[in-house]
Amino acid sequence: MKKFEPVIVAFCCHYCAYTAADMAGSQRLPYPANVKIIRVPCSGKVDALHIIKAFENGADGVYVAGCLEGDCHFKNGNEKAARRIDYVKKYLEEIGIESERLTMVTMSAGMGYRFAQTATEITEKIRKLGPSPIKTAITQ
Amino acid sequence: MQNTNRPQTNNDKVLVVGGGLGGIRTALDLAEAEKNVVLVDNDYTIGGLMTQLDRTFPTNNCDLCTLAPHLSESGRQEYIELMSMTSVRSITGEKGNFTVSVRTEPRYINEDKCTACGACHEQFPECVRFTPGLDHRAPTCMRYPQAIPQAYSIDLDKCEDIEALVNCCPAGAINPDDMAINREIKCVSVVLSPGADLFDPSKLDYLGYSTLPDVVTSLEYERILSASGPTNGKLLRPSNGTQPKKVAWIQCIGSRGIQKGAGSYCSNACCMFALKEAIVTKERFQEDIETTIFYMDMRTFGKDYELYLERAKDDYGVRFLRSRPHSILQQLGSDALTITYTKDDSTEQHIEDFDMIVLSTGFKTSEQSRQLALNAGIELNDSHFPVTDGFNPVATTKPGIYVAGTFESPKDIPDTMVQASAAACMAGSDLPAGKKTARKENNITTERDVSGEELKVGVFICDCGDNIGGVIDVDTLAKRIQDLDNVAIAISEGHGCSRVSMEHIRKTIEEENLNRVVIGACSPRTHLSKFQELIRKAGLNKYLVEIANIRDQATWVHSNQPENATSKAYDLIKMAIASVTKAQPLVDQSLPINKNILVVGGGISGMTSALRLADQGFQVYLAEKSDTLGGVAKNIFKTLEGDNVQTFIADLTNKVENHEYIQVITRAIIVDHSGMPGMFKTGMQVGPQMFYRQIEHGVTVLATGAIPNPTKEYALESCNAVMTQLETQKVVNQTPDIVKKWDNVVMIQCVGSRIPDNPNCSRICCQTAIKNSLAILEINPDARIFVLYRDMRTYGFQEEYYQKAREKGVIFVRYSKDSPPSVNPAGNQVEVTFTDVILGQKVTVTADNLCLSTGLVADNDSSEELAMIFKLPRTADGYFLEDHVKLRPVDMPVPGFFVAGTAHSPKLIKESISQANAVAARAQTMLARDSINLGAAAARVDSKLCASCLICVRACPFDVPFINADGYSEIDPAKCHGCGMCVSECPAKAIQLMQFEDDKILAQLEEIFDKVNA
Amino acid sequence: MITAERKPLEELIDYVKPFKRILLLGCNECVTVCAAGGRKEVGLLASGLQMALLKSGSNIEIKQHTLERQCDPEYVEELVPMIDGSEAILSMACGCGVQQLATRFKDKPVFPALNTQFMGASERQGVWAERCQGCGDCVLGITGGICPIARCAKQLMNGPCGGSTGGKCEVSEDVDCVWQLIWDRLKSLGQEDRYVDIMPAKDWRSGGGSGPRKIIREDLAE
Repeated sequence: MKKFEPVIVAFCCHYCAYTAADMAGSQRLPYPANVKIIRVPCSGKVDALHIIKAFENGADGVYVAGCLEGDCHFKNGNEKAARRIDYVKKYLEEIGIESERLTMVTMSAGMGYRFAQTATEITEKIRKLGPSPIKTAITQ
Repeated sequence: MQNTNRPQTNNDKVLVVGGGLGGIRTALDLAEAEKNVVLVDNDYTIGGLMTQLDRTFPTNNCDLCTLAPHLSESGRQEYIELMSMTSVRSITGEKGNFTVSVRTEPRYINEDKCTACGACHEQFPECVRFTPGLDHRAPTCMRYPQAIPQAYSIDLDKCEDIEALVNCCPAGAINPDDMAINREIKCVSVVLSPGADLFDPSKLDYLGYSTLPDVVTSLEYERILSASGPTNGKLLRPSNGTQPKKVAWIQCIGSRGIQKGAGSYCSNACCMFALKEAIVTKERFQEDIETTIFYMDMRTFGKDYELYLERAKDDYGVRFLRSRPHSILQQLGSDALTITYTKDDSTEQHIEDFDMIVLSTGFKTSEQSRQLALNAGIELNDSHFPVTDGFNPVATTKPGIYVAGTFESPKDIPDTMVQASAAACMAGSDLPAGKKTARKENNITTERDVSGEELKVGVFICDCGDNIGGVIDVDTLAKRIQDLDNVAIAISEGHGCSRVSMEHIRKTIEEENLNRVVIGACSPRTHLSKFQELIRKAGLNKYLVEIANIRDQATWVHSNQPENATSKAYDLIKMAIASVTKAQPLVDQSLPINKNILVVGGGISGMTSALRLADQGFQVYLAEKSDTLGGVAKNIFKTLEGDNVQTFIADLTNKVENHEYIQVITRAIIVDHSGMPGMFKTGMQVGPQMFYRQIEHGVTVLATGAIPNPTKEYALESCNAVMTQLETQKVVNQTPDIVKKWDNVVMIQCVGSRIPDNPNCSRICCQTAIKNSLAILEINPDARIFVLYRDMRTYGFQEEYYQKAREKGVIFVRYSKDSPPSVNPAGNQVEVTFTDVILGQKVTVTADNLCLSTGLVADNDSSEELAMIFKLPRTADGYFLEDHVKLRPVDMPVPGFFVAGTAHSPKLIKESISQANAVAARAQTMLARDSINLGAAAARVDSKLCASCLICVRACPFDVPFINADGYSEIDPAKCHGCGMCVSECPAKAIQLMQFEDDKILAQLEEIFDKVNA
Repeated sequence: MITAERKPLEELIDYVKPFKRILLLGCNECVTVCAAGGRKEVGLLASGLQMALLKSGSNIEIKQHTLERQCDPEYVEELVPMIDGSEAILSMACGCGVQQLATRFKDKPVFPALNTQFMGASERQGVWAERCQGCGDCVLGITGGICPIARCAKQLMNGPCGGSTGGKCEVSEDVDCVWQLIWDRLKSLGQEDRYVDIMPAKDWRSGGGSGPRKIIREDLAE
């Protein structure tokens, strides 16, 4: 069987995390190609439904990346996002998906290094967890 | 950008010198008011000192995120000509007709060709890093990732192999034959904001700065903390690369006349700077690190700054020691830094070791800017800062030449931003009336209606030189993309953002009749608006384009795994195609503007804003709730510097009352308000009969002021010998004979300020005490004056008057919050008892006058009412809260509202005037247009689906959604900020955020997993 | 408003497992407002069920739809054209909606996806609290607008029990003693005398004690 390469979706807020990803690029900081970014205006815009849909489509991991605490361009979207992630994690467990597959991270726009590091760490974590049970079920 | 072809003949420009934050603000304000600006900076990229800061107080935001939009904003402005690497040689002529000779140094790079790919700095890696003060400057350097101009510069002298350097550029942008250019610029007025240098502590050997690597300046410490700094944001001791456990800050290095070569003034921003660094340090390492600040007075006098100080103390455990250590020593064989100090309650010497010591170095004008002042012919004071008008700090001794920012006097970012806008107002009003440059007609082709058309996506993939093309085979990728559904054409496009390629893309769209476009390129953050403009020119709605960021997210980060990079680029483009096929044409929100202005409040601030705007030909309604103009300042006689306030007010009032475009409405109480930005309606009850009157206006200026704190402490009401500073001032100015009889005068500072009920500092009282002390001594040189204070906050040049008061014998005695002085009325006198820390015992003074510095408080009666009527936020202590405390200090969060003067926070008259001028400049940026463009990213409710559950109403951080008369949620697109929080919380899925609709996001998700599901 | 919470996924899976095609039906009224059974929750549950079933090797088709109100027959009628495609209905409405469906579609199994909770009010975003038990004989006029039936664990009608300490109920520190609230409110209204009047023993017949209740408006009823 082919070596397992996780597919990971990163919802990145425009003002911090997405900018940090650009910064990681301009500093040429490598991170695994497994991470695919979807740009959203604010981490608070990330819908529980979209996270669940990502897993239903076969994601091995999902993370939402927002601004540092207190730095949200829209006041408190990152705090709302963090609460929502906790809520969705519980639902994932109910469904039978390891809740570690979903994470909230924060960073400032200047933190290219943090972006690359986070992407690497999350990819490694998911790699260790193995394919998502949903993906396994789809492909069987 | 550098050399536009605009003719130099007609003189309709303002020259702005200095591309720091202040200069950018000035230039933007003028440009947005459709006035031509030349922005000159001697650096190779603009941004100034702020680009080197990691985070800024008091919000602890990352600066790159806040500043970067300003830079690209200014890069895009059609009214700004930006000349980097350019210095001013001379300024001749008069206001209205200056000739400025400038010299532009060679960049050796053609900015039009340069794509900021970084190939040159990759191949000359030793030359690229920028770490001011900690590392050497490099021959090629792009200072920070969001730089504008987004191009590199080369120091040819430092390059050994010029040919290799030239050849390494894939865009062929390096030109070793570039030459310096001298030019003359005609302009009507000039704004100088070249910034200031920081004090160099290397000559003070007792501080060990040049010998001990772990002694750093505050800016260097900032760079160490910065994510884009030399250690990638890791806090490491420069000496041994370990993480420090104990860090100390020493304040007032190079300020307050302390050290050799120091300025006699206070540098204003360093206390907050040190607090911020200490807080950020504690935030990161918490119990793992100790932070200590050695200070003389903590000068946290700005808006809500006192709360920041309290937070540092109480929440973060930063240690404060009131002490000024003399020297920093290091024992042989030890790597610790030793400080010997005494505490303020005893003479005992303490010896303590630290791992790192930060010197809080103050501001100093640079040699270059002094030369600039000389070239411009403006006068400087003894401290080499410009001499300015006592009632208009941006006006120099030479008419038509204005100053702003730290070049004017030491200050922090919000004050710099205020002055920058004020300078824009003054410089802009020197432009001949009616000579406003007409907005360029863009000959926009009509927009094609694509509804009902079969999807035809055009995909254009950049190679960006080797940045993309060097890692993946763009042609092969394009061929694979060509086979996808809905794709009409997919081609490689070289440098997609170059003029040639842009033209080719435009033609292709027209010839192939494309109706959706995907660009495989770099970041939409920097390039989306460029491509939006492009497809608009090609006749498509600008929201029918999507960028796949295959450079920053694929080829740059997976450069050594071409296979992965290729498949990721393929996926990213597929995602973009899926998304763009769901895109619908959107219309930018725009609203027509009513150009009348309502100014609420007829004090100095309100009158100043009214006058400036009326002078520009706008109709102003000035509503004042009392029956006369002038406000609180009517009780003030002279400023600290000796300028006559009464004459000034009389003159201002006269001008306002007789201005043809100003209608003064006294005894006016605002009672209702409705409408949208640009078309407000405000109702008021006017005059003794309370007639109702409604004004239609596009801009509202709040200048409602503050009121003297009505505290009744220290027997203020019961004893005649006790009065406020305002009352004392009146006695001093009107009945000096009484003052001659005073033997002892005691002043108590912070009465009713910096206490739990009113936690902030009133900012003005320390200088008022000094002013009145000096005035009393002038009349009665034998009077003994005691000033009982907590921290003397005589910031900036006020410090010199503080020194003067001490020289004249005024006795300053510190008291702590926990043991305030006690007061006992004794007939016509009053006994004041306080603890003298130096004597270590209680002292009682029988005072003929006890003068209380009661400061200012927000006028809660009126501001609470107004905040409710206008729906504006206030701070906890009742002042109006601006949109962004640093970058937009006079703009309110609701577009069309501005705040000036003490309605914003306590401040001096001249500071209020600067703010009032700033408001006039900011208001003109709105009033220049006939309509305001609000973009398209707004939330839209489908009323058929809405359950009126109020969840969106509660979720919105800006209180925009409401349940309308039909019973459904309504979101005003003009007020929506576009965050999408209501969208993700709506339980009925009744809300969509335009540009980020659910189906676009779901379409991207499906593309990602296409392979999995296949 | 009627409040509800989603049942554990496990229970729902047991309901739907025997079927190949089900209709998952939301309601745009009370349960949308309390974020339990609106379009959004329908979407989340559909995906969650799908995934959970997929894991256990079964695969069913879940059709999603949301009605304006499931408790009114006219709205339920909307389902007629689509109902044949589904073997069973999983309703995300309150118990009223579920029963309305069961009444209309006699040959389709109907399952509740929610546990209906109580009649409550919104305290703030995301928090709902019980306020009424529908006793049919409202005493709020006497008790200062605060209901001792819905908000006292013992439904005491004449002042607090011995378990009221510091304004809190002995059931939990988080529960206010409703009689403390009533007293405070009466006092602030200057209506302390109301408290002194003894309320007679409650007649629970109007609250359902004599069987299912029905309201007939004679002028409207046909």
